[in-house]
Amino acid sequence: MPALDIAQEELGYLTADAMSEVAELLNLDAGYVEGVATFYSLFHLTPTGRHHFYVCTNLSCTLRGAVEICDHIKQRIGVEEFKEVSADGLFSVEEVECLGACEYAPMMRYQQSFHYDLTPDKVDTLIDAARREVSSSEDREAHG
Amino acid sequence: MADAGAALRGSHGLERHHLLTADFGTPDLHRLDVYRRCGGYRSLEKALKEMAPEEVHAEVKASGLRGRGGAGFPTGTKWGFVPKDVPGPRYVVVNADESEPGTSKDRYLMENSPHLVLEGACIAAYAVGAHQAWIYIRGEYDRPHRLLTDAIGELRTEGILGPKPFGKDYPLDIQMYRGHGAYICGEETALLESLEGKRAQPRSRPPFPAVKGAWGRPTLLNNVETLANLAWIIEHGGAEYARFGRERSRGTRLLSVSGNVERPGVYEIELGVSFRHVIMELAGGPPPGRRVKVFWPGGSSAQVLPEPMLDLSTDLDEIARAGSMAGSGGVIVMDDAHCVVKAAHRLLRFYAHESCGKCTPCRTGGDWAVRTYERILSAEGSAVDLEILDRIQESVQYGRCLCALGDSAGQVIASTMQHFRDEYEEHALRNECSAEVPRRLDRTPRTEPHPQQKGAS
Repeated sequence: MPALDIAQEELGYLTADAMSEVAELLNLDAGYVEGVATFYSLFHLTPTGRHHFYVCTNLSCTLRGAVEICDHIKQRIGVEEFKEVSADGLFSVEEVECLGACEYAPMMRYQQSFHYDLTPDKVDTLIDAARREVSSSEDREAHG
Repeated sequence: MADAGAALRGSHGLERHHLLTADFGTPDLHRLDVYRRCGGYRSLEKALKEMAPEEVHAEVKASGLRGRGGAGFPTGTKWGFVPKDVPGPRYVVVNADESEPGTSKDRYLMENSPHLVLEGACIAAYAVGAHQAWIYIRGEYDRPHRLLTDAIGELRTEGILGPKPFGKDYPLDIQMYRGHGAYICGEETALLESLEGKRAQPRSRPPFPAVKGAWGRPTLLNNVETLANLAWIIEHGGAEYARFGRERSRGTRLLSVSGNVERPGVYEIELGVSFRHVIMELAGGPPPGRRVKVFWPGGSSAQVLPEPMLDLSTDLDEIARAGSMAGSGGVIVMDDAHCVVKAAHRLLRFYAHESCGKCTPCRTGGDWAVRTYERILSAEGSAVDLEILDRIQESVQYGRCLCALGDSAGQVIASTMQHFRDEYEEHALRNECSAEVPRRLDRTPRTEPHPQQKGAS
């Protein structure tokens, strides 16, 4: 699994080629590696946005408005479905099971850290910051 | 707000019952020097230098400590299952795959005092004759993973992990291993499969992990909170620990209280206090104008208890006698603004999604249940659907599955139907919902494509 982590980190998601390569390196059957990759929800087999939100919608979070947070994120990033990537390739949102921070519900995991007590405003701030970051790095590239 | 700045939500400090959390809130407690200034690693030093492994084991037995992961099995007894006379390596595996819905106390422990967990793992390793411990931590726990990794680094630098901890010729090491998002890994044999790099499907038992665990070697698996108790027990003695709590539920435990309460948080309580105290006093009760409708006393897998049961004690055996279980200590509170059938539907989606697919009743039962709930909630239900739910809960429980996941799913259906039959009938027979749900009553349930079993592609 650490080998699949490295592949996913490099490519953003696990392609068939990446899984075959891991299998070959570790001297494992390609089907076995794919079997492992498809079992675990943190391995992505399809592309995600550069900014991917993992929003908990299990009971404790749903009781405090997680579904509304998901709807708000979808609307703000312009997608209809979970795991759909926004047209600009920047964002996607995934509904996940309990992330173990129930006392801060509703909450989500984003950029390797937990974000607590979510409100539409907090989500907007994060989305706006991500957009600004991208446009400023594009600026740098254009002028650099 | 990102996690780094989050304030502690819960109880800690100098009350009599704050055994684990007494030093929580001390700035930089996650650092080795601060932890040691608070008395940290004195217990490990004492165990290594002054006690034989059997004496450590005897103290834990005397403490009456029971596993805090969910099953509540006596820790001292479990340690006794690890054979003494088998040559070759043996392991301690820390179950840090906390993923029972409504449970966050292991995260709370690891974030606030990673060394408390590591010290416990070292003490347990010494007691059962292991030199290597693994921490299997769920992949989503980024911050606890970082803190534990740094803490292990500090211990290696100081030589507390290494060939001679505290000068004693007893090599110790701890390694981290990250999970990748699968609830089933909390089940100890599935965790071992995952640790070995496989799909996490539970093994049939016997042999039990104590005899044949990780890589076929004798392996002790303990939950994070269970191990976090050890430093206190070794420092003060098992008999002193047993003065807390009552009868067969000794000591304190951490309850994570979430849902419709004013002050959700992780509270350390002495076992035996009532749920009324935990929910209404510590966690501040439901929002103004609302009342508690139902609560899950020990994670979503524990049978629901309706409001009149609030006076029930947190004693593990009393919860069992009341027809539920103390489980993981995740107390989920739902107020009267929410619908039990919808809550059960949400939880069944969880169990269906997390079924590993190995045994048939659980693999197909969860899926059937979700589709049945969707029919009921989208005004297409009938009396037949209630019978179907009843048949499903019966077929996934009572030892018909390899592990407890099937039972858990069945218990959600059975206990909600037992206590709230009228709400089920309203939905299924009359397409009504008398549970006052101000938020989006009109919302039709999400109809998802056939909820796929993991890896069934």
